[in-house]
Amino acid sequence: MRISVNRSGGFAGIERHATLDTTGRPDAVHLHALARNTLTAGQGTPPPGVPDGFHYAITIEGHTIHCADPHLTDAQRELIRTVLKEGA
Amino acid sequence: MEPIFCTIVPPHVLDKLARNEDQALAEPARRTLERDAALRTRRRLETVSAIGPVPAGAPSDQPARTVYDAKHRTDLPGRKVRAEGDKTAKDLTVNRAYDGLGATFELYLKAYNRHSIDDSGLPLLASVHYDESYNNAFWNGEQMVFGDGDGEIFNDFTISVDVIGHELTHGVTFHTANLEYFGQSGALNESLSDVFGSLVKQYALQQTADQADWLIGAGLLAPRVTGVALRSMKAPGTAYDDDVLGKDPQPATMDHYVRTGRDNGGVHINSGIPNHVFYLVAESLGGFAWERAGQIWYDTLTGGELSTTADFAAFAALTAASARARYGDGEEYQSVLKAWSQVGVATNGGAAELPHQTPAPEGAQPPVHG
Repeated sequence: MRISVNRSGGFAGIERHATLDTTGRPDAVHLHALARNTLTAGQGTPPPGVPDGFHYAITIEGHTIHCADPHLTDAQRELIRTVLKEGA
Repeated sequence: MEPIFCTIVPPHVLDKLARNEDQALAEPARRTLERDAALRTRRRLETVSAIGPVPAGAPSDQPARTVYDAKHRTDLPGRKVRAEGDKTAKDLTVNRAYDGLGATFELYLKAYNRHSIDDSGLPLLASVHYDESYNNAFWNGEQMVFGDGDGEIFNDFTISVDVIGHELTHGVTFHTANLEYFGQSGALNESLSDVFGSLVKQYALQQTADQADWLIGAGLLAPRVTGVALRSMKAPGTAYDDDVLGKDPQPATMDHYVRTGRDNGGVHINSGIPNHVFYLVAESLGGFAWERAGQIWYDTLTGGELSTTADFAAFAALTAASARARYGDGEEYQSVLKAWSQVGVATNGGAAELPHQTPAPEGAQPPVHG
């Protein structure tokens, strides 16, 4: 399963993008569960967010959902952290 | 409506960070994941007119600050660690936040006779140590939130007092013009936060326009990053140029206006244009920038004429009208007209006159080239 995260906005306005493939990963089952939860809780269009807050577009197997700080679910936050390898 | 998140990717988007193989950059992520970071933010940013309730009696000339420690979690606000009048804490981050809230309160009170964010003495709240290695600071509609940075790209976000002034000014804008955080009105919202954030620093240091660095986030970039700050109002686009971070994407003029759906329509990118106009006006007038230049911008923000969806041209016309309303047809007014002209934004020759100024029609576009 390919999971991509695009992060935009933030105080610095610097964009980040990363993709993770769960194939062969020891935590694949856990990541698949996070991905399912993320898709369920996400929005099809970007939420308004807050000033200087990060915006995220998460693409899982071709399906893209949007979410924004600080209104992330636990699953979204963990998935974003894992893919971007940075605090979310 | 223009599709969002699926149009033009700005040229600066190089995804360099994502491709970096340096384990030192990826290392901060290798930490225990938190499981119980349930969100408790009580209010979302809403683009509605919001005038806070006015308490009985005159608001105090003293701030009412509270700093919380989120303890590397994401529950807000976290544990209270320093309230107004408490002695200095051991945690330097807590003290910087407390002092930055105070410096911001001071500028608004002394320069513009504004009593806190809502002009009614609203308590100032800040949470520090939000999340782990969190590379951001934001305003959640009620309070400021600061990350510690990852130490590789960003330092602690309380390091720059202009960042604190920037976040609190989002609160001021929310309580006044309430500019929609998207497209040009969003870039104006961002620019106003940079303008007054920079003025907080200049006021604290008692610097004149020619002494100020006009940087946003000086000291925020970690030592290994090639750059001096996140943004430069004096020379937009020159704050950093780094192998990992890419190059500062801010334009200084409309010729280089960036059309994008990302970042709420490039609010942190195109803010460089109105930022530079403020610098040009302040530099032209000389002396302390919070006095005449700042007053004109403050009058524009709080005068009640600025539409929530104002574009650059509407804002430009209002700054010219504000300059003339307060200072007449002299150098202040002429400086404002000249500065907007230099970046390629029309002011309608400054024909607008307060208090009869009407906002530009919906959808009015400034000239955009390239």
